[in-house]
Parts: sequence; structure tokens; C-alpha cells
Amino acid sequence: MRYDAPMNTSAPVSFRPPGSLPATPLGAYGGPWNPRLAAHLLRRAGFGGSPEEIVRAGSGSMHAAVDALLGFPASDALPPQPPLIDDVEGVPLPPAPPAAPAQPPAVAVMLPGGSSAAMLPAANAVAPPAAASMMPVAPDVAERMRRNMLRRDQNRANVTWWLDRMLATPAPLQEKLTLYLHGHFATAAGEKDIYGLDIIEQNQLLRRYALGNWRELTHAIARDRAMLKWLDNARNRKAHPNENFARELMELFTLGIGNYTESDVRESARAFTGYTFARPAGEFVFNGAQHDDGLKTFLGQTGNFDGDAVIDIIFAQPAASQFFARRILEFFVYAEPEPELVAALAAQIRRNDFNMAPVFSTLFRSNVFYSERAYRALVKSPVEFVIGSYKLFGIAPVQPGTIAVLERMGQVPFHPPSVKGWDGGVQWLNTQTILARENFASGLMSAAMQGNGFLTSAQASSAAALADLLTGTILQGDASATSLANLQAYLSGRGTSANGALSGENYQERIRGAAYLTMAMPAYQLS
Amino acid sequence: MQRNRFILGGLAGLTVAARAGDLFGAALAQPALRTGLAGSDERVLVVVNLQGGNDGLNTIVPHGLPAYYKYRPTLAIAPNDVLRIDDTIGFNPQLASLKAMYDKGQVAVVQGVGYPEPDHSHFRSTEIWQTAEPQRYVGTGWVGRLLDEADLPETNLFNAVALSPVLPELMIGRRIDVPSIGTLHGYGLASDGNASERAAFTSLVQSDRVPFASPYLSTVASIEDHAQRGSQELPKLVAGYTASATYPATPLGRSLALAAQIIGSRLGTRAIYVQHGSFDTHAAQRPTQDRLLHELADALKAFYDDLAAHGNDNRVLTMTFSEFGRRVAENGSRGTDHGEAAPMFLVGGGVKGGVYGEHPSLDRLDAGDATFTVDFRSVYATVIERWFARPAAGVLAGTFAALPLLG
Repeated sequence: MRYDAPMNTSAPVSFRPPGSLPATPLGAYGGPWNPRLAAHLLRRAGFGGSPEEIVRAGSGSMHAAVDALLGFPASDALPPQPPLIDDVEGVPLPPAPPAAPAQPPAVAVMLPGGSSAAMLPAANAVAPPAAASMMPVAPDVAERMRRNMLRRDQNRANVTWWLDRMLATPAPLQEKLTLYLHGHFATAAGEKDIYGLDIIEQNQLLRRYALGNWRELTHAIARDRAMLKWLDNARNRKAHPNENFARELMELFTLGIGNYTESDVRESARAFTGYTFARPAGEFVFNGAQHDDGLKTFLGQTGNFDGDAVIDIIFAQPAASQFFARRILEFFVYAEPEPELVAALAAQIRRNDFNMAPVFSTLFRSNVFYSERAYRALVKSPVEFVIGSYKLFGIAPVQPGTIAVLERMGQVPFHPPSVKGWDGGVQWLNTQTILARENFASGLMSAAMQGNGFLTSAQASSAAALADLLTGTILQGDASATSLANLQAYLSGRGTSANGALSGENYQERIRGAAYLTMAMPAYQLS
Repeated sequence: MQRNRFILGGLAGLTVAARAGDLFGAALAQPALRTGLAGSDERVLVVVNLQGGNDGLNTIVPHGLPAYYKYRPTLAIAPNDVLRIDDTIGFNPQLASLKAMYDKGQVAVVQGVGYPEPDHSHFRSTEIWQTAEPQRYVGTGWVGRLLDEADLPETNLFNAVALSPVLPELMIGRRIDVPSIGTLHGYGLASDGNASERAAFTSLVQSDRVPFASPYLSTVASIEDHAQRGSQELPKLVAGYTASATYPATPLGRSLALAAQIIGSRLGTRAIYVQHGSFDTHAAQRPTQDRLLHELADALKAFYDDLAAHGNDNRVLTMTFSEFGRRVAENGSRGTDHGEAAPMFLVGGGVKGGVYGEHPSLDRLDAGDATFTVDFRSVYATVIERWFARPAAGVLAGTFAALPLLG
């Protein structure tokens, strides 16, 4: 297969400034279809693709490409969950090795149990207490350290399992929606006694409902053990209501600020009293003795509501569909979507009663999705950046050290910075995270030269053809003439990059450097 | 002057890409008046964000108010344990290091800080504290606006520094670009070791437009350019500094150690952001908050010991804030829910030590919350006017009386 022609031979519909929507923004896109737009679809509805996948999707039709994503090819061959070593409910700890002194945890720096990802110290920052292995350690302290080590190992196993799944899955949209929902109903492992199986079961729940009914998903989330721990609802009792879940349910999960009052928060908290889980099995239980069964006035209605009634009242509000529509558009299409567009998608969501398969089917075929306003209008998240790069260069499975890299970029799955999830957008980018991205790209290109991806077989007759091949494959041709000239200069050893002409001897090193530099172009940060 | 030496020696001829046309879309700020910040490059503000909503009642403890013990049956700190300021209030015993600084007159406590119609959301209230705009949504932070208004050189890559993984809204301005730096180790481009890759990287990120329109393109290019140049310069610029205190091995300790290094290296840095937390103690509050307050006090003590040893303590003002205090009555989980007013600390920088403002009443609560007695923008106005000698009007919407806690 040849890649030595730029892919941007046909631009999407002409650029339109914010605020001037097409007449039918959610109407089916009828413009030209090509690998450049296929790559756009694969980046947004999945994690990008290999050069072959992009060309294949771009040479069929848009509808065929969208159908293939929505069809969720069976992913049963993938491991359903990581190996469990944790002391989660129902899973006993492995016995302590006899008389082995507790070692300082070598991996503690990556996922310390006590804090969420954004608050983690930098990877080199945590020095285990130097004296720990020399001084005698009390048995209970040693056991606690051993437990903490196992939990950290479990955390790492969980993250690696999901990253590998994103990379290997035949159903990328399923994993992308799971990642979206993880940010929407953001829950962090390692805090509030949330360990191994807690967060994995929540992850499986999100995956099960990825294209399902999101009102039903919200009912299930209210009963999810990780969520019951995370927002303290397991401790929400009649005598002392705990408002944490009730507040975030409306503010961050379903309605947004401005669509409820403080009184609604307090009344909702009363309705959710007694929603807890059983120990040690861990399944949801409704504890009637701790439930406040008095009258509550919530969003203008009065009754003896329980939490499920509260969720149904919330989803009957027009603000709920608006809230989901806006969040979906911001994640999948572009930032600051026009109110008319939000209203149009919200109407779709209501018409489908929160069954999301038809909603995403419409969205991924729409005029607005393929408009130039949407094209490369999102900042790639760290997970998109890393998994997309792995796919593009044909590297699998996920390399050791990837979790630490993601942490420096600001996004470790299962470790959102707060219940608000990741802010995303331009917030992904600062000097520190950009350096982490570039350094990852640089290291990855060394790995790519050893792998079986397109880079190892890239052949071109000249520096100009090589620059075209790289920008065509990595950026779908989205490079300026100046950037292309700079890249050619680097490859041919001219100008400020003068270090000798391109030759058989320096070909490998030069193409590695040029591929890295292509990834350093600002366009590669954008989806 | 140090700052000029730095600019000429370090970055002559380089400019930071202007961020007009970026996400914020506005033209560059055009303040009518740019007369600089007081003390030239001497004075620095360090902001410590106590993330998650720190419980004020268990920080400055009202041991003389019976209502406190009524509302906090399991969480209250026993009168004998409180580090007394007077017969009514005192420090949490975990703040012993800070109390020692207080006793030397180096700490101002501002009681009952908050704002009207308080928001109980972490995110909105954090945004309010960082933008200083309770009524509107704005895209800039109060420190960012302060830096914009001052006559700071855009060529200086380190006018302000956020020692955090994400750039806080507080530091976002229209003119001054603030880098986020976690630790110095690893802050740099691996490819800069190769001269031709370094040169090509520079030319690529500074190159012209691409064949598509994206609201983020100029932002990405500017940050990449800034990251490359800043990471080349910073380690060299701070290499000559040696800490003169032993910092606690905590994230906050490491952040403040780097802050002292940057301040002591005189890069013209005027504002530094660090964060500490999480204080969101809905359940089992005591062990978590006690640990975090202990870490806070010990890190601040080491910071000021280090600053003093280098003669920098009087030019560094440190201010803590948190998005809200917590509910007066504890909940059923030995924790507290989101509340309202809470105290702030201002440390060093020639503060006139003591207690300012009024402790919120525990007898007249607002739906279970302590009502604020001092508007947080009065504290900001104090910093802007008394520390940086700038008019607060260019930074804060409305007029707020400064407190008499700075000379």
C-alpha cells in the first residue's frame, strides 16, 4: 500500500464560524467521503486506526463506516477483567509470606492509594521511607503496608487491562463510550476504600450500557458499589443525611447548576437514605431502617420519594436531555456547541427516551459532525493521544511505563482528579503535559522502528516524498507548506538542521526523527 | 536589575507567541496604566489552594463557644488540646508549627471569609474563588488579571509559575502565559539532546498556518514553543540555589521547596501557585484533616526557614484559600458536608500578625452554615493594593475595603 500522496485531497464542507449552524445540523452528511474524514470518524468514535484501517474505512461509504462502529463486533475474546489480587469484597487476600520483611513499594510512585491522579506527586517525587526496611516493623504496620502494595498492584493491573482493551478491541466505539461515561460518572479507585473489583464492576456496568438507555444506567449507578462508596451514599442515613451523592447526581451527572435549588439537594439526599451495600458480599441493599420515608418536595413535586423516584423526576426535566446533549457534543463534536445544536440533539435524546444507539447513529452521520467547525476542533485527551499513537504505529500491547506517562500527561483511567472528571479541552495542555506528550512520541518512535507498523517499511524516493508520506499517514496531510518544507529540510539535512544529506546510512535515524517531528506538529495534538 | 539581566542574558531576541486568537478569542488586554508591581521584582505572592473545602471550625477552633461542642459531638477538638489564641479561639494542635510562627507575629488569620449567596459546589465555588467573580462566568483568574495589568515583560517565561499538573484558572490571563511545572526532574524535551531535532522542533512549532481551522491551533503552538524554551532555561536558572531547610517529604513540601528555589533564583517571578489536599472530608474527617493540616504547617515552616536563610522571607507573602468551609453540624459519618465561611491564613511578607475579621456566629446559622463576615475579595484587595501597590479596580469588579493586615 502506498501512502506517498497527501490525504487531504478533498476538504470537508466549508468552514463556518461559530454560531452559524447548517440548516439541518443533524441531517445526514452527503458530501465527499475519503480517508481524511474516515480518520476523523475513527478518532472521535474510537481511538484512531492503523493506516490500513483508515484507508479501508475511507474507501467505502460513510454509512458503512458508521455501521461498523455501531455494530459493536463481539469483544468476548478479550479478557473480561484483570486478574484480581485485591482484598475487595468476596476476594480474600493472598496469605502473607512467612516472615518476609515488607519492602518499600517500588511502584508506589505511580498510583499511590491515598490520592487521585491530578493530585498525585510527580512520578519521581515519592521517596519511600528510607528506614522502613531497616527498622523492625510492627506486625499490623507490616500487614497494612503489604495490603497497600497489593492494592497498588491491583490498580496498575486494572489500568493496564483497560488500556490493552482499548487497543485490542474490535469494538472501539464501545470502549470510547465507556471512557466517556467514566468521565461523566467519574469515580476514582484507591480512595474511599474503592479497590480492585469495585471499580472493575462499575467499568463493566458502563460498558454494558454504552449504547443502552442512560436513564436506566443512572438508576444502576445509584446502586453501584463504587459510587455508593465514592460519594458516601453508603453512609447516607435517615438521622444524618449525607448530601454528597444527591448533589453531584444533579450538578454533574444529569442537570447542571441552575436547574435545581439547595432545597432540592437536601430533599434528594433524604430520598437516597438507606441506599447502601451489603458486607461482605458487596451487593446493593435498600436499608429500610435507615431510609427517611417522610414526604419530600423535590423539583416542585411532593411525595414519599425514594432515590429511584428522584432519578425519574430528574429525567423528566427538559434540562436533563439538554445536559446530556451538551456533554456529548463537547466530547464528540466541538467545544461550546451552539444552543440550537444542543436543543436539536436534546430533542433526539428525548424522542428516543434516552436510548442512545439511535442518538449516536444520527450524530456520527450528521452534517455538523463532518463540518469544518468540527474538524480537528478537539484537543486529544492523553488516552486518545497514547492509544491512537499505538494504533497508528502498530505497537501492541501497551508498553510498560505507560501509566506513568499518562500520569504526567494528566489522565490515568480509574483515577479522575475529582467527581467532575477531567476538564478536557484546552485544559489538557500546559507546558508540563506537552513535554510529556512529546517525550512519549520520541520514545514511541524508537519502539516503532523495531515493530511491524508502517514506519519500518516506509520507502520513498526522496526527502520530499518521505515528508509527504509521513504527514499523509500521521496527519492525513494536515500540514502547512512551511511545515512540510521544514520537514523536508530536516530529512535532507539542509538549513538549520544541517547534518548531512539523506543517505542509506542515516535513513533509519532520519525517518525516526522525522516521524517524531511530524507528531510534534500542533495538528497532531488535535482530534 | 535582576529581571533585566535575566531577560537579556537568557532570552534575548526571543518572544513568546502572543495568544490573541486563542481559545479566549479576545484581543490582547490594553490596560490604560502599566506602572509595574510594587517592589519591582522583589515581592512575590504564593497561593496555597486547600483543595476540597477545608473545615474552618477544626482549623481555627472556637473552643470558647459551647455551640461548637454541641454541633461536633465526635469531631470537636477538646479544649485542652487547642493551641489557644485567646479564650474563644485557638489553632488545631496539628498546626503547631504555624502557631509558633503566629506567636512570632508572622501569621495573620482572617476569620469568616466567604461571599454572598455561597455556592456549595466544589467546582463552581473553586471557580468563584479563582476568578473572583461570584455573579458571572469569566475566562480569566484574578492573579492572571493582576499580572496582565502590571508592566511585566512578556519575554519572561516565568512571570508566574503554577506548581501543579493543571494550570489553575487563577493564573489564566490574556497577556501573560503561565507554565505549569510539577518537578524540575524530567521537565524538558528528550529530543533537545539532538541539535538537529531541537532546531527542527523549534521551526515546526513556530511555523505558519495549517490547511484547516481550529480554535486550539495557536494555543498548542504557543505552549509547545513556551515549553521547549522554558524547559531549556529553567534548570540552568535555578541551579545555583541550595535549600537551607529540610522540607517534609510530602507533595506540598516538594512544591514549596521548588517555590523557594525559583524565588531565590530571582527570575522575576511574582506569583506562584501550589495545591494541597483533598480536604473533602464527608466521612471520617479527623484523621484526614489532621494529617493535611500537619503537612501544611510543617511545609510552611520549612518554606519560611529556607526563605529567611536566603533573606527572602520579607518579600514573600503566602495566602491560603479553600473553596468553602464545611457544615457546622457534623454528619452521621463522622464527617462534614459542604459549608460556607472559613478562615484564611496570610503568612510572611511583613504581615501584621494577629486575628482579623469576626468569627461567624454559631447561634445564627444560614440553613446550617456559618455566614461569612469578610468578603474574600477584601483579602484579594489587600494583596493587590497593599502588597503589590496596584489599584484593585483593574482586577476586581466592585470596591472592597482592604484589611489592615499588611504594613
